[in-house]
Amino acid sequence: MKISRPMHLDDEHAEHAEYQVNAAWLSWLGDTAILVAATMGTIVTLNVERPRTAVLIYLIGVMFVGARSGLYRGVLAALIASFVYNFFLSEPVFRLGVTSLDELVPLFAFNVSAIVSGGLAGRLKDSARAARAAEAKNYLLLQLSDQLQRAINADDVASIARTALTPSAIEEIQIYPWGDDEQAGIAVPPGPATGTSRRPAFQDFALTGSRGRLGTVRFMLHKQDRDRGDEPDLKAVANLLALALDRSMLLEQLSDTLAAQRSEELKSALLSSVSHDLRTPLTAIEAAATSLRSLRDTLTPRQTDEMLATISEQCAKLNRYTASLLDMGRIQAGIPNSQFTNVDLVEILGVALATIRKRFPDQEIRKDVSPVFAVMQANAAMLEQVIFNLLENAIVHGGAGRPILVRLTLNKASCFLEISDNGPGIPGTEQARVFDRFYRGRKPVQREGSGLGLYIAKGFVEAFGGTIEIQSPVIEKIGTNVTVTLPLVQKVTGMAEIADADIDS
Amino acid sequence: MQILIVDDEPAIVGALQPVLASQGYTLSCVATAFEALGHVAAAETDLVLLDLGLPDADGIEIISKLKAISGATIIVLSARHQEAVKVRALDEGADDYINKPFGIDELLARLRAADRRRQQAAGNLTDSFRSETLEVDFGRREVRLQGQQIKLSPKEFALLEALCRNAGCVVTQRQLLIAGWSDPNADSQYLRSYIALLRQKLEYDPSEPELVITEPGVGYRLAVSGEHSD
Repeated sequence: MKISRPMHLDDEHAEHAEYQVNAAWLSWLGDTAILVAATMGTIVTLNVERPRTAVLIYLIGVMFVGARSGLYRGVLAALIASFVYNFFLSEPVFRLGVTSLDELVPLFAFNVSAIVSGGLAGRLKDSARAARAAEAKNYLLLQLSDQLQRAINADDVASIARTALTPSAIEEIQIYPWGDDEQAGIAVPPGPATGTSRRPAFQDFALTGSRGRLGTVRFMLHKQDRDRGDEPDLKAVANLLALALDRSMLLEQLSDTLAAQRSEELKSALLSSVSHDLRTPLTAIEAAATSLRSLRDTLTPRQTDEMLATISEQCAKLNRYTASLLDMGRIQAGIPNSQFTNVDLVEILGVALATIRKRFPDQEIRKDVSPVFAVMQANAAMLEQVIFNLLENAIVHGGAGRPILVRLTLNKASCFLEISDNGPGIPGTEQARVFDRFYRGRKPVQREGSGLGLYIAKGFVEAFGGTIEIQSPVIEKIGTNVTVTLPLVQKVTGMAEIADADIDS
Repeated sequence: MQILIVDDEPAIVGALQPVLASQGYTLSCVATAFEALGHVAAAETDLVLLDLGLPDADGIEIISKLKAISGATIIVLSARHQEAVKVRALDEGADDYINKPFGIDELLARLRAADRRRQQAAGNLTDSFRSETLEVDFGRREVRLQGQQIKLSPKEFALLEALCRNAGCVVTQRQLLIAGWSDPNADSQYLRSYIALLRQKLEYDPSEPELVITEPGVGYRLAVSGEHSD
């Protein structure tokens, strides 16, 4: 809802206190000028022997003052005019009273009509002003309630109320939440308004919501200028504030409840995923170990070997999985770069390749690694984990028997490690999600993994100040290429310099 | 060889005991740092397998005390991703480490390497190293790879000597910087460069070394043929 503001209110609100004082003087001056002009007109018309016109001119003057400045000024002007007319203008001049009955009637008529018309005009003016003030107050309340719709918390409520109300007679608004108000020395419930002068310096109102007391609002009123007449209905304002506060508190509670619910759901999803992933290898180990114990005599040596291999493999899997969970925890806790040292990616790539070859002895890995060094600030073991995870991912998802390619290139500032496979690729819709925690593809071989490898790789790479990107398909609808970009340490002692130093020594 | 296992996990002790006994080692087990110090002081001990997470003390803190009491070799049992802890333990005087969980082959290889080194140290400094592929004569400063003589610069030789004298055991960056430059705070890039030069002369594929193995974040290890496994 949009409320358009009446034009004249803008002007009235814009008035400054000092300007108001001047305006009061001007108003008095104007009234005096009107009365003086009317007197002059009366004197002139009396001098040209038009007494009835003279009286009417004087009456018009009095009515003008009344219309301009309200009931009291109208009556005052009428009294002054009847005195001046009686004393200076009507016979006998310089004396009050009349000499004959003939003169009494016009004088009486003049006095009565002056007072009545001045008063009437004044009352009309006053009620017009009162109507305008009421309109202004209503407008203020309407505007306030409209703006309070936007408030979503207690701070919003206070700041909106301040913005909407401080141009009026209210200087400042303080909202004390339930409990704080008593500490702030406010009587609970608020007592009668206090203050030294005719009008108090502030007024307190209790704020009560749907579930009881919410707090207290304190309106500080302007010290000067307490009669400006645009002071809103404070009780109504307090009610509006109470409503808005109540609503905002309910909103907050609702969002807290929703967040708690969501985090609870996330936690139980995590736990069920973790316990499933731990239980699967444990089941295999338990089955193999118990078979070996109870069926020892009936198993062929080959079967025994297979079962022992299963136990060993599943232990390795459990070990990798718990390590991944720990890595995930480190990423979530934040990895401080204070522990980073200069690490050579070429050297660490060698370590990761040795480990991966042990795990996948038959896998063909093609290398295109020409740089001798690629030195960066990192943690060596974490960097090894990144490379291992990417290699493992490429081998497992790249299709059995197909070679993978490792390529390392440098420019002045960065090194680029690319690991590509010739597998089926990753559909565009899944590409954004492969770095998510516990994300696994749909195929059985993909379900095998922990769903943490790429998440950990990304987390570690980003901790080293690098980026990781995925591109799929690479060519002709097949292949996935993962590129890790890492910033190089500048100013690394070159190989040539070192060799020279050695010959010298 | 007299081995002391310091670990408060009964399952690990229970699994290791029969295997090590079957390999001809004599085994004792304690669960606390206090008992470990008492045992080493009372009984002859050649090697301590030390878990760092003990109930009554930080394992690292008793390494120097153990070393002060006896000349036993110390192998630390540690978790992956605790490179800083491993380096501290090695700098405190531990001789090697092994990551938990470990395969028994790996443990036995470490024990053999430690045993070999201990015997070398007992018989004063030996003047040569010999493995299936590598022969190094420390006195004449000669290196042969599969029978072929290899020429090394003085720094390269100093590093190779340090690795050979600890063959099969990890040698920290700090120890190698001292061996090559007599300064533990020298630029680690010097070390990386010389290891790279050494690998170019000794390795079949320097980018995937099989002889001079990197222990990420810790140091290097000279693989003993047919024994090294990770």
